[in-house]
Amino acid sequence: MARKDFLDIVSLERSEIIQLLDQAEPFKDLFTRSVKKVPALKGKTVLMLFYEASTRTLSSFEVAAKRLSADVTIFDVPHSSVTKGESVRDTIDTLQAMRADYIVVRHRLSGQPAAIARQTNASVINAGDGAHAHPTQALLDAFTLREVYPEMEGRKVLIMGDVLHSRVARSTSTILTKLGVEVAFCGPGSLVPQTRFRRFTNYDEALRWGPDAVYLLRVQKERQEASFYPSDREYHAVFGITEERLKRLSDEGVYVMHPGPVNRGVELCDGVLDYERCLISQQVENGIAARMSVLYGLKPQLS
Amino acid sequence: MNLFLQGGKVATEDAAPHRADVWIVDGTIQSVAVMDAPAGARVIDCTDQVIMPGMFDAHVHFREPGQEHKETIYDGAESAINGGITGVVMMPNTAPSIDSPAMVQRVLELGKKCRIPVHTSACITVDRAGHEMAPIAGLKEAGILMLTDDGDAVPNAALLRRAMEYGREFGMFFASHCEDPQLCGPRALNEGPVSYRLGIQGTPALAEEICMDRDIRLAHATGARLHIQHVSSAIGMETIRWWRDERGAQVSGEVSPHHLMFADEDIGDYDTHYKMNPPLRTREDNAALLQGLKDGVFRIIATDHAPHTEFEKSQAFVEAPNGISGLDTALVSLHDRFIAKGEFGWDLLVKRYSAEPRRMMELEVAEVAEGKPADLLVFDPKKETTFTKDFMKSKSSNTPFLDKTLKGSVEMVVLGKEILLER
Ligand SMILES: [Zn+2]
Repeated sequence: MARKDFLDIVSLERSEIIQLLDQAEPFKDLFTRSVKKVPALKGKTVLMLFYEASTRTLSSFEVAAKRLSADVTIFDVPHSSVTKGESVRDTIDTLQAMRADYIVVRHRLSGQPAAIARQTNASVINAGDGAHAHPTQALLDAFTLREVYPEMEGRKVLIMGDVLHSRVARSTSTILTKLGVEVAFCGPGSLVPQTRFRRFTNYDEALRWGPDAVYLLRVQKERQEASFYPSDREYHAVFGITEERLKRLSDEGVYVMHPGPVNRGVELCDGVLDYERCLISQQVENGIAARMSVLYGLKPQLS
Repeated sequence: MNLFLQGGKVATEDAAPHRADVWIVDGTIQSVAVMDAPAGARVIDCTDQVIMPGMFDAHVHFREPGQEHKETIYDGAESAINGGITGVVMMPNTAPSIDSPAMVQRVLELGKKCRIPVHTSACITVDRAGHEMAPIAGLKEAGILMLTDDGDAVPNAALLRRAMEYGREFGMFFASHCEDPQLCGPRALNEGPVSYRLGIQGTPALAEEICMDRDIRLAHATGARLHIQHVSSAIGMETIRWWRDERGAQVSGEVSPHHLMFADEDIGDYDTHYKMNPPLRTREDNAALLQGLKDGVFRIIATDHAPHTEFEKSQAFVEAPNGISGLDTALVSLHDRFIAKGEFGWDLLVKRYSAEPRRMMELEVAEVAEGKPADLLVFDPKKETTFTKDFMKSKSSNTPFLDKTLKGSVEMVVLGKEILLER
């Protein structure tokens, strides 16, 4: 993979995805050893530019970069929702002087990491932009699913929840499709747009479709406030994984995934976190390996 | 002035171009006929070229006063001349808005310094805010041609109804930018697979359809004359057709070159040159709008010329302003995309982009005919035009045609006693 940037899944070839997944495996094996570091990125600088607060993703990238022996700088940016694209451009101009090799960006505006990538010679990694893409999440999701289903072709994954506003839904559905997995969406009619994917607005119908895994999206509080659905209680009753539904998933051997952080009592009940086929903690661990693979695979164009 | 345009074809609004020489003396057309060059006349070789009346654009956003860095009235008028357009109507969303007789006078004064007539519209509501009625009688007196809150719909149906009832006495002509203010959302692009892919909330065509239906109903009920600006959707077009044909409503429609030519999928990877409002819809909408133009559902073509600087357009897609600069490119692009491909003829272009807009505005129609004042352009269909920043006279170059080469060239523009353009 000779790419400079890692901005979305749409533009990746299937072979590149498989290479990234394969490459992540030895990195994961490393985690069980006493020395968890490799010198792959020694002397390189990774700059974290998070315009949206996210401790989990930031830490995951930080650990990934450090395990590759890179120097990590966390640039302090205002986490205000009014950060304009314009001021981002000024920031990038300023940062050029720091000569970072990699810039990891998260921003509330769809397309902002792509704009930054055009402005800098550093490799830009999209750590989530608006409702557009979250490609490293998609990679770790695919990696996690491949661990339980080494043959992914023909498997079915049901993505549940706020598909409309979710960058995770977009990137993860795209990567799974490229790997031959069949994807369907399910959720309240107001939160599941018409796309090329099969669409359910009824949980039981969706389950009859026979998914091998149910991927729960995080439901944002502000969607209820904007009346996309009436209340968290009703959401949980109609679309959440209740104890009763968990029983059925268990009977049918369906895996459960979630990008985190979870909303207990909304998209899932407490029991899900103790469920034997719940892959949430594996996803967190695999996130580090997947991000190491991405950092390792990119080629900054610095002179 | 003694000018003889020799060897060309003259285009009119109701027939295919016919072979004729055009002789102009001191701003008046002496004859339109095949003849020998008169003694003493300057002869311009127009072999294989098309001579037609100057175009008229009834929807332009010049940025003066308030945003002269994007474009002044003078720049805008020069951009029009460069594109073969010899008259325009400004929209009132300047800063401050054109919502008082004093502002109308100020803008018209600036317009008088231009080489073509610059007319203006004014707001329906004070500062386009949708709360209070603008001084309609005073605005009419000051010389406006049309009332519109273009940029937004009047959000309050009761207020629009009252303005229509009140304005009737003054023969006011209303124009609507149709978009339901709640349904339209943040207004960045069409709602559909492209908005989903790019992760940006889209504006559904429904927002246009619903508002259009509302405004036409209000006009029909109050007896107001209404014009629907920049229709972007197939159902929007059908809405006008239905009201006009089935209910006899006095409603006219307008279509822009970009809504005929581009679709949301052209946005690709966040290309802000394709960001305008109403947004580009789908290829199916392009085809339906073209059919509507051929069927006469659209009374006029207008650009919605909306200049923005390169810096403004280089922001993130959501934050970049809506709008496309259109005057320099309109005629050549309509030729390249439609006339050269046989989609429609010169007669349609002359009718919809020269004669009807002037009729609609109750202005004298420009004609290439004996005894008429000279108001014409010479177009070379074989030559090509490359729309570089240098070529375009608009202060801004926010168009997908930037640095593109299209078929056709505006070679000469004559208005009254002046040759405004000669390449
Ligand atoms: Zn408008």
